[in-house]
Amino acid sequence: MTIICKGEELILSKERAIYWAAQKMLIISDLHIGKSAHFRKHGIQVPSGIGEHDLQRLAGLIDLYDPQTLLITGDMFHHKNNSEVNVFSEWRKEFSKLKVLLIKGNHDKLSPVEYVSLNIELIQKELICTPFRFIHEQPGSTDASYTISGHIHPGVTLYGKARQRLNFPCFYFGENYAVLPAFSAFTGLSRIQPQKNDRFYAITPSGVIAV
Amino acid sequence: MGIEKSKGYQQVIKWLKLSRKKPFRFQTDAWQYYAEGYCGLVNAPTGFGKTFSLFLAVVIEELNSRAEKTSTASKKKKTDTGLKLIWITPLRALAKDLARAMREVCAELELDWQVSVRNGDTTAAEKLKQKKQMPEVLIITPESMHLLLAQKDTSAHFHHLQCIVADEWHELMGSKRGVMAELAISRIRGIVKEKHPERLLRIWGISATIGNMEQALEVLVPYSEVLKIIIKADIEKKIKIKSILPDHIDMLPWAGHLGHKLAHKLLPIIHKSKTTLIFTNTRGQAELWYQNLLALDENLAGQIAIHHGSIDYELRNWIEDALHSGILKAVISTSSLDLGVDFKPVDTVVQIGSPKGVARFLQRAGRSGHSPHETSVIYFLPTHALELVEAAAIKEAAKTQQIESRDPIVMAFDTLIQYLVTLAVGDGFDDQKIYREVKETHAFSELLPSEWGWIMQFISTGGDSLSAYTEFSKVLKKEGLWKVESRQIAMRHRLHIGTIVSDPMLKVKYLGGGYIGMVEESFISKMKPGNSFTLAGRVLEFIMVKEMTALVRRSKLKRAITPSWMGGRISLSANLGNILRKKYNETLDKNHEDEELDIILPLFERQAKVSHVPKSDEFLIELIHTKDGYHFFAYPFEGRQVHEVMAALIAYRLSRKTPISFSIAMNDYGFELLSEYPIPLDEENIKALFSPENLGEDIVGSINSTEMAKRKFRDIACISGLVFQGFPGKYTANKHLQSSAALFFNVFTDYDKHNLLLRQAYDEAFYQQIEEPRLLAALQRIQVSKIILIKAESYTPLCFPIKVDSLRENMSTEELGQRIERMTAEADQKTRPVHMKSRKKNDHHL
Repeated sequence: MTIICKGEELILSKERAIYWAAQKMLIISDLHIGKSAHFRKHGIQVPSGIGEHDLQRLAGLIDLYDPQTLLITGDMFHHKNNSEVNVFSEWRKEFSKLKVLLIKGNHDKLSPVEYVSLNIELIQKELICTPFRFIHEQPGSTDASYTISGHIHPGVTLYGKARQRLNFPCFYFGENYAVLPAFSAFTGLSRIQPQKNDRFYAITPSGVIAV
Repeated sequence: MGIEKSKGYQQVIKWLKLSRKKPFRFQTDAWQYYAEGYCGLVNAPTGFGKTFSLFLAVVIEELNSRAEKTSTASKKKKTDTGLKLIWITPLRALAKDLARAMREVCAELELDWQVSVRNGDTTAAEKLKQKKQMPEVLIITPESMHLLLAQKDTSAHFHHLQCIVADEWHELMGSKRGVMAELAISRIRGIVKEKHPERLLRIWGISATIGNMEQALEVLVPYSEVLKIIIKADIEKKIKIKSILPDHIDMLPWAGHLGHKLAHKLLPIIHKSKTTLIFTNTRGQAELWYQNLLALDENLAGQIAIHHGSIDYELRNWIEDALHSGILKAVISTSSLDLGVDFKPVDTVVQIGSPKGVARFLQRAGRSGHSPHETSVIYFLPTHALELVEAAAIKEAAKTQQIESRDPIVMAFDTLIQYLVTLAVGDGFDDQKIYREVKETHAFSELLPSEWGWIMQFISTGGDSLSAYTEFSKVLKKEGLWKVESRQIAMRHRLHIGTIVSDPMLKVKYLGGGYIGMVEESFISKMKPGNSFTLAGRVLEFIMVKEMTALVRRSKLKRAITPSWMGGRISLSANLGNILRKKYNETLDKNHEDEELDIILPLFERQAKVSHVPKSDEFLIELIHTKDGYHFFAYPFEGRQVHEVMAALIAYRLSRKTPISFSIAMNDYGFELLSEYPIPLDEENIKALFSPENLGEDIVGSINSTEMAKRKFRDIACISGLVFQGFPGKYTANKHLQSSAALFFNVFTDYDKHNLLLRQAYDEAFYQQIEEPRLLAALQRIQVSKIILIKAESYTPLCFPIKVDSLRENMSTEELGQRIERMTAEADQKTRPVHMKSRKKNDHHL
């Protein structure tokens, strides 16, 4: 699904990413590397293949679009260093030419040294890339620039006949700001209150559909 | 018989004589069988001393053994004290009263026994006391039994254990708490067998009458090598059922219509009785009725109270005490007072709305006239006209003792997982030994070695057979035993044992302090700041939710708009449905003695005129064309839950032949399919439509079984420890570990298809939600019934309640009221005599 936002053409992928061809930039959010390992460390039985599968999908996207930059709008790592971070470290080496930018999210708690060793450029607050401003968490107030953020893991509910309800992750493009879906499969969803002129794009198994 | 000659027995008889009492036959039978080493089940109605049938058995044995000891002149050692009797009870309301009664007995018999209660309400100080010195009698819930097993050195507690009693066993069986009881009993029995192989540990149950007593005994005592017996009290409890009848009924009934109009008839009943227990089916109704009664008679303020599980512990206690001492005149309650609590002052019970099942009704009736030989009086207040027929049906069912069975739960993997981790948190477990014990229980007798293997893997490696990155840590093998080493994991596990909730509860507190009660999270999530609701009879204004607590202030309003509460939509039982169909016959034929059916006769005559009153061997279908569209109504009388599935099934089968879509509605009597277009139905294809063939496949095609399984999975995820609810005031889950059951459901579906917990969710959906066996039986019955197909031009009395219920969800009370008026007016016009057929100017489009 391709959309135009603020004059820019953006490809919305059903693998929960945006490809901005003009900037050769692949944009994702809330990767939460290490989340399932963190749960498992605490005795909660999350299947171990999830983290790996997330990285496989990301590799697939990189192969497909061949971006120069991978921008992650926060929450790349879930907690502290654990085995999944090591897996990522190995994975990172396969894409050594790719520039990886991370906007610090509330979950990102590695030390500066660790980011450097993973060849990730850590951005403290925001990245301005006209006409967009990339941040992790959308502030309460809006301003002149159009912000693109993550953090909330947006989802949308579709209602069917016979009282059926299905929840899907989605891309949210409002009048003043947009929110990216969480890239990781092991995340929940929270719903945004729709306002006038909002556009929601649900990510279904068969593709991205405008709602 | 042997024991009458014993000292203990004599002592007890002498003591009973002091209060002019004589034991009942079933009690002395129980004492005798107990003394002979039997296990068993006592089946006696409430109020006839079923507690004493077993408690005194244990006491008599103790008195006898002491008598022996003094005669052989050996000193009573300190180490002889300790836990002798474990008394399992499902509800906390019961425990206090039981303890009180037992302590009185001990005092009067000069037996120096300690009786303590242990459940979620027990203080930490009390628990510490118990740990240092266990009382002789411990009254405990299944969850607290597991908590005991989660402590270290538990086997030390059972050195002197003689007996385990499962009280209200009919209530425990049929829920996962019953499975918890089975597992705890199996472990305790194992411990006793190991340390004291010569000991005869007796396991007994006390149960109200249910349809499957033999099975109930097998589930409680699944051990083939012990002697077992069912002791049935040969006492007929007299129950008098009186319906509160309306002065006049409307031809088109709908749920909720009558109830409040009849409220004023309830007042004289309350005033003439010393105390009255009023039962409703849902919490929301309890709150509504409380408001109604107060509105009708201000003098009742301070004399009536509401009592249901979600009211704060202290308030609940106060209400129970006040009722016991006669301060309160009436208490409105849902199920928390349902079970055998001895409130002597209660002389009247009122049931508002159909109790939907005979067993429940009889148990509630037992709350009045509690002492033996008093007749229990129960008033029935119908909330719509057709419920009067249910009243007549219940009367008959009570007379002929046609009581529902309670189906035991089997293969509850989530509960087993919780249990194993519990043991690991405690003293650790030997998997071979525990596997054998678990296989002996009824719940897991069919457990396959591969399933056990999966569960062991689940708790030890997190489900992976081989994974390079096993950071998973929960249960590890140390020195031959499986244990939990991490203190954090142990603490978290202990805090959440016994979580069998589908809807987390929030505490409700005034902004300035002071707890009021608890409320479902789903209820609060619909509230906006400023909205009002009622709880514990007070009208409150919602402010906000903070840390799993809903903050409120006193509302200035006198009445609140009470949004409907979740939970408690009980479905008509198969038993009752059966008798109901019979009563429908009797009404029109006038061969009955029920005054309820007399009052409702005009409604039946109307139904016969515009449609048909189905006989027991007939299956009625109405095709009605109104301005709303084309309606298809069918009346299987199988309860709303089965109808929900049947309606979807029929809709699916119809739409396979012609592309047609329906909206669906249902109640306990039947269901509706509504379409914009005519529905292709005639006498020929109806039997094929309701055929039991291909039922399994068609169910899967018609119902979103994934959605149902997801709903069941919420409980499963909690119980097995994947997901945590916040515990009000106690523990907020580590925010980095927060997730939801839905997330795990999706993740297992995508990454771990063979997960047993996923399978359990689907199994539970098919058995409990879809009730496949009952659905199949209904379809088979329809095949041999005579099909009556009626085409009508307007709503009939029988279909009206279904129609109204379907509109309820999308309309406010005023809108609904107006809509009902219009529908009634239209139907009335259409059934008027011929010469009035000309259309009136103000006929509106509905």
